[in-house]
Amino acid sequence: MGYRYCGARPTLTTQSHPPQIVKEQILAETELSHKHLTPELKLHLITPTCRLWTSPPPHSPFLDPFWAFYWPGGQAVSRFILDNAHLVKGKRVLDFGCGCGASGLAAKTSTAKHVTFNDIDKVALEAVLLNGYQNNIVVDSLLSSNLIGSPSGQYDVVLVGDMLYDTEFAHQVLCWLQNLHESGSLVIIGDPGRFALESHPLKKLLMCLGKYELTEATILENRGYTQAFVWTFR
Amino acid sequence: MSLRVLVGCKRVIDYAVKIRVRPDKLGVVTDGVKHSMNPFDEIAIEEAVRLKEKKIAKEVIAVSCGPTQAQETIRTALAMGADRGIHVEIPAKEMEKLEPLHVSKILAKLAEQEQAELVIVGKQAIDDDSNATAQMTAALLDWPQATFASKLEKTDGELEVTREVDGGLETIKVKLPAVVSSDLRLNEPRYATLPNIMKAKKKKIAKMKPKDLGVDLASHLEVVEVVDPPTREAGIKVEDVDTLVTKLKDAGRI
Ligand SMILES: Cc1cc2nc3c(=O)[nH]c(=O)nc-3n(C[C@H](O)[C@H](O)[C@H](O)COP(=O)(O)OP(=O)(O)OC[C@H]3O[C@@H](n4cnc5c(N)ncnc54)[C@H](O)[C@@H]3O)c2cc1C
Ligand SMILES: C[S@@+](CC[C@H](N)C(=O)[O-])C[C@H]1O[C@@H](n2cnc3c(N)ncnc32)[C@H](O)[C@@H]1O
Repeated sequence: MGYRYCGARPTLTTQSHPPQIVKEQILAETELSHKHLTPELKLHLITPTCRLWTSPPPHSPFLDPFWAFYWPGGQAVSRFILDNAHLVKGKRVLDFGCGCGASGLAAKTSTAKHVTFNDIDKVALEAVLLNGYQNNIVVDSLLSSNLIGSPSGQYDVVLVGDMLYDTEFAHQVLCWLQNLHESGSLVIIGDPGRFALESHPLKKLLMCLGKYELTEATILENRGYTQAFVWTFR
Repeated sequence: MSLRVLVGCKRVIDYAVKIRVRPDKLGVVTDGVKHSMNPFDEIAIEEAVRLKEKKIAKEVIAVSCGPTQAQETIRTALAMGADRGIHVEIPAKEMEKLEPLHVSKILAKLAEQEQAELVIVGKQAIDDDSNATAQMTAALLDWPQATFASKLEKTDGELEVTREVDGGLETIKVKLPAVVSSDLRLNEPRYATLPNIMKAKKKKIAKMKPKDLGVDLASHLEVVEVVDPPTREAGIKVEDVDTLVTKLKDAGRI
């Protein structure tokens, strides 16, 4: 069965058409869901009604399908962007670690000029295309390279949904984001209160822009968290 | 005040496995036998995660003292919502000689190092049934203890704990920091789902040895003999209540 893909996943060249097989697999293993903080966006996600919800990871045709869940931090960023459209209107936006792509799609809905969907998992970029299609939103560009450490310049706004889940990784990400902020980008971070952010020294440089109560379904997916927060550098 | 909670989770023979005594009568067969997290420890982890959901706890640390495979137990705890793990490595062949006092010393030391304000462990492990780790950990730390908890509530700087005692339920207040042991009815652990399992893979598990914590594993107990419980004799079926009463009278039971 699909297990095969664990080893050799179909390759995707940026901006090219998605290999049909990955697309079909995503459609087969997910359900369109709006049980999250941005119900105006319907997303292909693994929900409690999908077989993979309760399957152990080796049964999944996808290696760590982070894109198949809409993480609390991403939900908060997207909600915030939809409610504060002026922040991205006419801007060049980066959705860093976009996963399902909801935050970037929210930026497009809020009339951003150009959104780059970035995720090192190429399957995620396929999911972004499907989610864009589902919501009648044009996906401007896909990027699968690791941007951490690279200079910004090209982006007015950088969206960061739930990327601070691991202490060491969060440190790299936060230092890079601080640089982007200093070189003029508006950095918008969503996080449910994960320890990696809470305990990081840069946390005190952040300012809270919003606080959201998670939906019942999201709480089930994220043991230990019931809210999500939106932060930016002061 | 938001607490850091340390939770003990032991890898034990799965509760559904039929236990077999080893031929040398000094232990039970563990090779090739399914193991899982001690059920009372699942309850302990679940409670800590719920405390986090209620914003009473800020971080949940799962500790397991055991062989390499104890890491699977820690991963389970992380998938249930613990934030990070500590694996105190005990070689498989020394596992049998690991006593509640050793585990208590390890937990007490870690509670101090991690500046935990709450330690939750199961009321007993279903393999050894010692029911001693919580009590000894509290004694070593000189912290109050609330054992056999079936309900936890936090009031200002204190925990209100409902305990399952012989005569029913008892409610006590303990000052924090404290040690709590979980009873069966404290909560019903939720099953780990794919998103939680995926996230658990990214969480850190620190490894250390008992001697890193200054804990000496010298034995205080000696296993003299391990035997099967006596097999039960076959019963009989009776036709009606009268016959049952007669039989019981004949057997001298009533
Ligand atoms: C995770 C875990 C936690 C535990 N916690 C506790 C605890 O907190 N307190 C505690 O005391 N024990 C506890 N135990 C032990 C376990 O609950 C005991 O095995 C249990 O108490 C035995 O009762 P039972 O009815 O389930 O046993 P069973 O083996 O099902 O039955 C015991 C006896 O009941 C009679 N019986 C059973 N079914 C019927 C029937 N249908 N009709 C007529 N008679 C019947 C039979 O005489 C039988 O021998 C725990 C075990 C585990 C694995
Ligand atoms: C927890 S998910 C968040 C997804 C999405 N932002 C959301 O909130 O739903 C993290 C995502 O980041 C991606 N990722 C991890 N490291 C990355 C990196 N260095 N650059 C880009 N994406 C990365 C993962 O593949 C994954 O899809």
